[in-house]
Formats: sequence, C-alpha cells, structure tokens
Amino acid sequence: MNDGVNGDRQGAGAGAGADGTGSTDTAKWASRAATALWAATVAVLLLALPWAAHGRLPDPLATHWDGRTADGSMSLTASAAFPAACWAVALAAAAVARRWAGAPARTWVGAGLGFGGVLLVGAQAAIVHANLDRPDWQHARPLGPEVAAVLVAAVAAGLLGPWLAHRRGRGPRPATAADGPRLDLPEGQRAVWLSRTVNPWLGLLAAASGLGAAGSALAALGGLGGPAWALFAPCAVVAVAAAGCSSVQARVTERGLDVTFGPFGWPARHWSPADVAAARMERRTPAQVGGWGYRLSGLGTTVMLRRGECLVVRPHRGVEFAVSVDDAERGAALLNTVAARRAG
Amino acid sequence: MLLKPDAADSRPLHEQVAGAIRRAVAEGECTPGERLPPARELARALEVNANTVLRALRVLRDEGVLEFRRGRGITVARGADRRSELLDSARRLVADAANAGYSREELVEMIRGLK
Repeated sequence: MNDGVNGDRQGAGAGAGADGTGSTDTAKWASRAATALWAATVAVLLLALPWAAHGRLPDPLATHWDGRTADGSMSLTASAAFPAACWAVALAAAAVARRWAGAPARTWVGAGLGFGGVLLVGAQAAIVHANLDRPDWQHARPLGPEVAAVLVAAVAAGLLGPWLAHRRGRGPRPATAADGPRLDLPEGQRAVWLSRTVNPWLGLLAAASGLGAAGSALAALGGLGGPAWALFAPCAVVAVAAAGCSSVQARVTERGLDVTFGPFGWPARHWSPADVAAARMERRTPAQVGGWGYRLSGLGTTVMLRRGECLVVRPHRGVEFAVSVDDAERGAALLNTVAARRAG
Repeated sequence: MLLKPDAADSRPLHEQVAGAIRRAVAEGECTPGERLPPARELARALEVNANTVLRALRVLRDEGVLEFRRGRGITVARGADRRSELLDSARRLVADAANAGYSREELVEMIRGLK
C-alpha cells in the first residue's frame, strides 16, 4: 500500500537531484581511478625496489631484526613477492568490503589502503636500504629511526585516504522536510503510523544470558563467591542490552516520532516535529553500520534489528538516527508532513 | 500501519478507535493473519486509555474482524478485509435509513424483500 505517498521531488529539488547524480557518477569514477592508480603504484614499487638494487644486495637478504641485529632472512625473489602478495590480499579485502558494505565502507577502505600501502612500501625501502652493499644478510645495517618514520607516514596516509574519499563522495540528500516523501492528507485529517520489528535471535540471546546471570547469582549466593559474581556481571549486561534491542516500536503522531525499545517500551527516544529537518527511507545492512543492535557509525545512530528498510531521521541538531522498521517510507512521509504542517 | 482517526467523529471513544482500525483493515493497512500492534502502543498513538483500545478490540473480535490468540497476540481474521468493508457499508445503510425515518426492523424487512 503505497498510494498517498508523494515520492516526487518538487521542481527545484528534482533539478538539484539530477545534477547531484551526475557529479556523484564523476566522483565515483574519479575515486575508482585514484584507487586503481594507488594500487598499481604500490605494487610496482614493492616489486621494483629490490629488483632495481639487486646488483648491490646480498641474496638472501635480511628481512627481520631483533633489536639491532638481523635475525631473519628471505631470498631476493621472496622478499619482493611476499609484500606484493600481502598487498594483493589487502586489495582483495578492500574490494570485498566495498561490495558488501557499499559506499559507507569507503572511509575505512580508504584508510586501510592508504595505511597499508605506505607501510609496505616504507618497510620495503627500509629493508633494501639496510641490505645495500652488505656482504651477507647477517651484516645488514640495524633498523632504528626508519621504523618510526615509516609508521608515522603510514598513519598520516591512513588519515589522508578517508579525507580524500569524503571530499569526493557526498551524495545528494533531502535537505528539508519539503524535499522528502510526503503524505497526501486533507487539512485537519489526523493520522498516526505504527510499526515494530522483532529480532527473535536477540530475544533468545537475552533469555540465554538472563538464565546465565540468574544461575551465576544463585551459585554466588550459594557460596561459590568470586568467580560466580565475575560471570554474573557480563551475563546481566548482555541480557539487558540484548533485551532492549530484541524489539523496537516506532510511532509517528502529531507530537512527532517516538521510538521505544524492548518488551517494556523503555528506554524511549522522542523527536518533536520541530526537531525534525527531514525523514526518509533507506535500505541498510548490519555490515554497513557495524552489526546488530544500537549502533554508532559514520552514518549516525542506527537501531539495526534486521537488514533492509530503515526510517532515517535527520534532526536540525546532532547526527542522523535510523531504525529498521517495515513500511518506513510511509512513516517518513507522515513525519515530513507533520513537520511541514508545524513549520508552515 | 497507518491509522486515520476521524476528528469530527462524535461517537464514544471506543467506537471511534474501532472505526479507525476497521477502516485500516478495509483499506488493506493490515492484511489477514498480520499481527496488530500491542494495545498499549495503539493507545499511546491514538492518545486514549489502554482500556478504551481493549474495548474497541473486543468489539472488532465480536464482529469477526480480529482474532485473539493466546501467545500470538491479536491478528486480523481471514476475509476480514472484505467483511470489514461490508460492515462499513451496512453501518452507512443503517444511518441513511434512520435519516429517512426507517427503523432497523423495516430495513431488515426491506432487505428480505429484495429479490
């Protein structure tokens, strides 16, 4: 039942949306080209460094140091191939992360590839330098400040990666309640929207850890003491947290949005229509937000009980809030309508 | 589910609540077999007492729109969407008849006389 939802953006909004999509496409390709260039540069450097200096290197060469003396070696071929293989694994992991978690993973992939690339190239350069013009690997130069310099450079690259990714990839979002979906309601018509999601697995986890907590409390009172109390605390915390996230109820009325957690409807969060800048429906997965339950991530706060439709609220102040409930499109539409009525 | 309570309705509260749910079922907001939100949630959303909602739910159960099942909560009965629509039409018919000066008995006779 989706009739009544006005999904069309208004004239100006649609124009901005089209422009936004065009620039995101360009940004996406620019981001991919930059990632491919970075991947290729690192791979070439890892293979080329030992190869370029092979006339002046011992074979095998020192690749591991214990304090100031070299204590491990690899053949010249292995010392070129091993870090290249590590880099290939990192690239594969990044590709998988992008595929499964989508655009929000961009930050972490950018950080990981920046950090990993600089770390591997830095380590390779340090190893080549330490072995240069030495008769055999046992006489390799000690490593000292190079290690710290490589680590600092790698961390800096790790911070730079996401910054670049962020600068490029900002998708268009509804700016005000007027841009989001709206519900066609006659003036004076009251409407309320209700939805709830239950995650039986979290309910089961709550029940199991609740039993564990009760059992260990009984054992502790029965005279087992210390160890039983040590088991009681984590069990009780997990039981309460899992029970709170085992079900969630969302309610949109003229007073705004109310989200209540758990079987007792407590704790609860409330947004009045004046707090809400815009609401929308978005499909999210646990992989994007970092798992199930009450999640804080780059996307803001997400109450994730199952993958799929989420009602996302952007308040005037603070981070976005999302909750995984069915029929979120119409909930968002009603919330936008209520907020616009209040504003107009 | 989306409920649209009628602000101009002057009937007793529990009948207004029952009317809003009946309309939601007729419009396919809640499909047969689907669970209704808990009475407490409905009460908070509609800003009425939980007992008022429970009374409305019992009315709808007696009409055959809802089913109360132990452990499964309150669900929409099979065929309730069509039944709910028909009940709404019947109510309107009774109201129209009353306006025209006909009693319920006369209306029943009139329906019986239809071929």
